[in-house]
Amino acid sequence: MDPHERRGLWLMAAPFVLGVTVLVVMPAVGSFAMAVYEWDLVRPPRFVGLDNLRELLDDPVFRISLRNSLLYAAVAVPLRLLCALGLALLLYGRSRLHAAGRVAVLVPTVIPDVVYALVWLWILNPIYGPLNLALGAAGLPTPSWLSQPGPARWAVVLMGVFQLGEAFLIVVAMRRLVPEELQEIAAMSGAGRWGRLIRVTLPIMAPALLLIAMRDTIVSLQSTFLPALIVTEGGPPPYATTYLPLFAYRNGFEYLRYGYASATTVVMLVLTASILWLLYRAFGRWSRRAWERA
Amino acid sequence: MTRRRRSPIALVLVLLSVAAGCDSGPEDEVTRITVMVSGDPEEIDAYRAVVTAFERSQNVVDAQLLPFADRDDLIVRLSTSIAGGQPPDLFLMNYRYYAQFAARDALEPVDSYLRTSDAFSAEDFFETSMTPFRRQGEQMCLPQNVSSLVVYYNADRFVQAGLPLPAEGWTWDDMVRSARALTFDEDGDATPDVYGLGVEPEIIRLAPFIWSNGGTLVDDEAAPTSFAFDAPAVSAMQRFLDLRSADGVTPTDEEAEAEDAESRFLNGRVGMLLESRRVVPALRTISSFQWDVAPLPILSEQVSVLHADAYCITAGSDAKEASWRFIEFALGPEGQRITAEAGRTVPSLRSIADSDAFLDPAAPPLHSEVFLDQIPRLRALPVVSTWAEIEDFANGIIEEAYYGGGRALEVAVELTIQTRALFARAER
Repeated sequence: MDPHERRGLWLMAAPFVLGVTVLVVMPAVGSFAMAVYEWDLVRPPRFVGLDNLRELLDDPVFRISLRNSLLYAAVAVPLRLLCALGLALLLYGRSRLHAAGRVAVLVPTVIPDVVYALVWLWILNPIYGPLNLALGAAGLPTPSWLSQPGPARWAVVLMGVFQLGEAFLIVVAMRRLVPEELQEIAAMSGAGRWGRLIRVTLPIMAPALLLIAMRDTIVSLQSTFLPALIVTEGGPPPYATTYLPLFAYRNGFEYLRYGYASATTVVMLVLTASILWLLYRAFGRWSRRAWERA
Repeated sequence: MTRRRRSPIALVLVLLSVAAGCDSGPEDEVTRITVMVSGDPEEIDAYRAVVTAFERSQNVVDAQLLPFADRDDLIVRLSTSIAGGQPPDLFLMNYRYYAQFAARDALEPVDSYLRTSDAFSAEDFFETSMTPFRRQGEQMCLPQNVSSLVVYYNADRFVQAGLPLPAEGWTWDDMVRSARALTFDEDGDATPDVYGLGVEPEIIRLAPFIWSNGGTLVDDEAAPTSFAFDAPAVSAMQRFLDLRSADGVTPTDEEAEAEDAESRFLNGRVGMLLESRRVVPALRTISSFQWDVAPLPILSEQVSVLHADAYCITAGSDAKEASWRFIEFALGPEGQRITAEAGRTVPSLRSIADSDAFLDPAAPPLHSEVFLDQIPRLRALPVVSTWAEIEDFANGIIEEAYYGGGRALEVAVELTIQTRALFARAER
């Protein structure tokens, strides 16, 4: 790459880099700094060192929120990945029917989050909501989505599963990059539909799938905020769907404990980085080898 | 030398600025203030009417109303506005939540304004509503209402069931008996369609029954360091929890999630509703049945819990005099008459509370004097800076026990132990 081309690329990237620096990096650094202070944003901050982190470890609500967040990520990330993959393999074709299907999959992702949450508040209404009316009409059990801990947690997962548009688009694009010749060669060597998927399609898509899994892990640790705030209100009581983002929000904005809330976000950041590192260690080499083999 | 041609845009800008300049005389004298309030649409309409009347009454203060759906939203906006250096000039807040701002020196005490006011004096207000807003001897905010928890009842349902209407001196057992009679299955699906009672399982609903039973809520009402539920308190709590688990006279958890108690009462599907004066503007939309209000039932003595909101001036306001001027109007006879006539408030100003603006029998409820009769028997929840946290935590525990068939003693122990750290963090 010559210097002129490199300068052009930097210029193109500049607005994004600037935005990320101002809106993500600087607030993140600020959060790290605030985490060692007690600050209500009304009076001057008071340095407390690691007291906020120590208090977090003793806080039963924080421990519940942490457990809820980890459980959510453990269930939602694989589920969203599988759904995105399945739908992409079903709808990557170029017919009008496939295009209509792709639009339908994308729609929940482009609806504003608050509207999406309010729609689900209606869908999940245990008596008047369409979901339970449909389940009841089919003779199936009708869970109390908003008043029992188990169904409420599944409801938050369900809300997240439908917002998989970005992952779906990437998988569709990757699927279209799989050369048809390879599929034909595999078919000639006797591989059936399933064999071609396992031996050709998935290995070629493996790096992208790993990337999506890592990206989805980051998102899943944050995306519970609006569903938990608007739909389940962190309950059913006491804290069945209180996740780390909601815990941080309440402590910061409702109880004016911004230092404590910042310490929570620091824990979230460290947690996210740790999970990503584990994911990469577990599947990074596998995805590279799969790609090379394919 | 050639003269540069003036661009048409520049010309328009100059003309606009001249035009603005011509009008700048009176504009300069107008002080703008912002007023944050929260509530249902009907409540917000009442506050909007006060602001409109205030603006009509004078031309030197321009008040902008900033309405929020609930107190959480208001607190979020208030704290971030203060942090951002642009606090609202005024906000309206319940006595249970203002202390977190008072403890942080974010409020301007109003004593000096009150002493020199021509509109009213401290004695013109019900003392019961003033006391919770006093901190370390200073009046931090000025109350707009002196409401309390009462029982709204569907009079038609009572008459149809041949039940005596709730009235002064009725007991807890009377209420449960009536609630049982009013709970019934209309369509034969073995599930009640109408319940006798609608009540939210929260500490503010439970507290007056603890007091009514002679029990204690906290160890020291003036400077609480812990919940302290004694035997009468636990007994009252158990009777409260029994309303759902043993008596079955209130909607189930699932039904309460599907439709709240206020909406059920509006639709004629609960016979009684435990609420404050706040719901009256909404209840006045009822046209399909007669309703009225009664005092809380008694366990051993007549008690209720104070519901009061007050206007507070922020310490960071740069229009404190103008803000006080708004308070003088909103809490003076004209402003209080507007909110009282809208049904929202039990006026904190004695003269308006005793007037037709509040007691008019043509505007339901018929027996609004019930609220005034309660005033000498009102008790306030603790005023501590961490009460919002304590209340959120306590409400979760109480709700879980209420719908899950929990035992009062276990709830009392859990509440006491789990909230100690929150009380300890409160700033005195």
